[in-house]
Amino acid sequence: MTRALLRTIVGRKGSFLGTIGVTLGAVIVVAVVLAIVHGLRPGRNPSIGGQPMLDGVSGAVWLLGGVGAIVIGALAGSYDVAQGTMRYLVLTGVRRIGMYAARTTALVAAVLLALLPALVLGLVLVFLLPHETAANVNASEVGDVVWTCFLWPTVFAVIAMGIGSLLRSNGAAVAISLFFAFAAAPLLGLVSAASETLGNLMLLPALARVTGDNHGAPIAAAAAAVVGWVALFWCAGAVRITRDEY
Amino acid sequence: MSTAEPIIRLAGVTKRFGRTVAVDDVTIDVPRGRCLGWLGPNGSGKTTLIRCMLGLARVSAGTIEVRGREVPRDVRQALAGVGAIVEEPRFYPYLTGRRNLEVAAGFVGHEAFGRIDDALGRVDLAGAAGTAVKKYSLGMRQRLGVARSLLTDPELLILDEPSNGLDPAGMAEFRQMIRSFVEQDGRTVFISSHLLDEVEKLADDIAIVQAGSLVAHGTVAELVAGGAATVRVRVDEPERARAVLGALRFVSGVQAPEPRTLDVSVERVDDESSMAIARALVESGIGVAEIVQRRESLEERFLDITRAEEPPTAPEAPS
Repeated sequence: MTRALLRTIVGRKGSFLGTIGVTLGAVIVVAVVLAIVHGLRPGRNPSIGGQPMLDGVSGAVWLLGGVGAIVIGALAGSYDVAQGTMRYLVLTGVRRIGMYAARTTALVAAVLLALLPALVLGLVLVFLLPHETAANVNASEVGDVVWTCFLWPTVFAVIAMGIGSLLRSNGAAVAISLFFAFAAAPLLGLVSAASETLGNLMLLPALARVTGDNHGAPIAAAAAAVVGWVALFWCAGAVRITRDEY
Repeated sequence: MSTAEPIIRLAGVTKRFGRTVAVDDVTIDVPRGRCLGWLGPNGSGKTTLIRCMLGLARVSAGTIEVRGREVPRDVRQALAGVGAIVEEPRFYPYLTGRRNLEVAAGFVGHEAFGRIDDALGRVDLAGAAGTAVKKYSLGMRQRLGVARSLLTDPELLILDEPSNGLDPAGMAEFRQMIRSFVEQDGRTVFISSHLLDEVEKLADDIAIVQAGSLVAHGTVAELVAGGAATVRVRVDEPERARAVLGALRFVSGVQAPEPRTLDVSVERVDDESSMAIARALVESGIGVAEIVQRRESLEERFLDITRAEEPPTAPEAPS
């Protein structure tokens, strides 16, 4: 069932291949820009690869991969109901909650598959492109970037799937999910003005903490907060999926 | 389970949407190995009932058993041997026909993958299996829907308005295919339609629904037999003939639809009643030009039944 659902997610070429294409393109753009600025002022920009490239890859995959993952996730949640295929999945007799869980697994796999090409290309360029010794990167730094580039998009993809399952409309699901990620979630950070402890448990600070930020809530509390935020949206979608009539 | 047991058993099934009753106290047993036509005008609750039978919607009252299992309590076991099309078959348009069936097979179970080629061949889509569904015609999508229904190797097929949008040739082909499921495979087919002609050609038994209620059920012959039975006579003295015929014991009424023409309502239309009418008229010295036995067609019967109450339209459920 998970494989079947993965097939339906990656088959939506606009979102899946689009995410692969945009993130790959962004990594190439980063490399080209670094090569140009190195060519223009090599003394001030001595490295193309190494740390500058790693920073560029991290930013490109984190941001654009995140947007792609949100679109993939929102459609994973809404498409079957919007398209009318949901009732044909339900009438196979499969437990709805099981189907929803399998869809979550398929979504996570799809997001990782979508981000992998850009991340692999970026890391290859980090090591292959010329850079001075001071810009060398170590395994721990690479690990941090990989963890960050996979976790942020995956978290927002699953949240978007919950939103998509709630809304049952593709356009609305994508729009509201993007709004949440780029407007609502940052605004929630304002809670810290009232209570720093509570503010540290908002989604973005908590995510930042578990992906390497040294400030904020204890790491266990931050991880629990991230799980809680994802669970909130996931469960809301699950309730809709299990109760709705098709 | 015994083959004599009904494959579908509905007892007092009611489905309400707020104050609107879409399905109203439907009770029926559907026997195995036959094709039942669930016939009713648009908005008579046909699709809603099917959605309840398939566990897609919850009933407000009553019980549903499919293949001896209660729905929705044992829906998984009940649906293990059921294939269905509800309203219209929907697919992932960006996937090929075969890929769509593979997605469905992923839900049905491993053995379903082995049935894909047979199912595609059965609906004559083997050649188009590699084409994206978005390029399929409506008829091809309907047939692919049937192919998907066959992945469970169903003993029961539930098809909701399956020939909607098909051209006459496509409808004839579709009917042939459905009949083969009953006659060759021994499957049971429950088919809903608002097209009387289609149901009459396809079904062994017919159930007529109106505003969510089951108002008639039986074979075509039984339903027609339940309709008005008249003997039409053309005579030279209609007023005197009316008096003579009105006095006969088996005559329940006499109407005059045209001058010199009388429709004589009788308990049973047969040669005996026709001869008794002729004898009575001749013995009274009335000239008889013509005697014709008239039985309501299924269409007339259907219209009679569905016009009988003309209640407000019960909407189909929101999808």
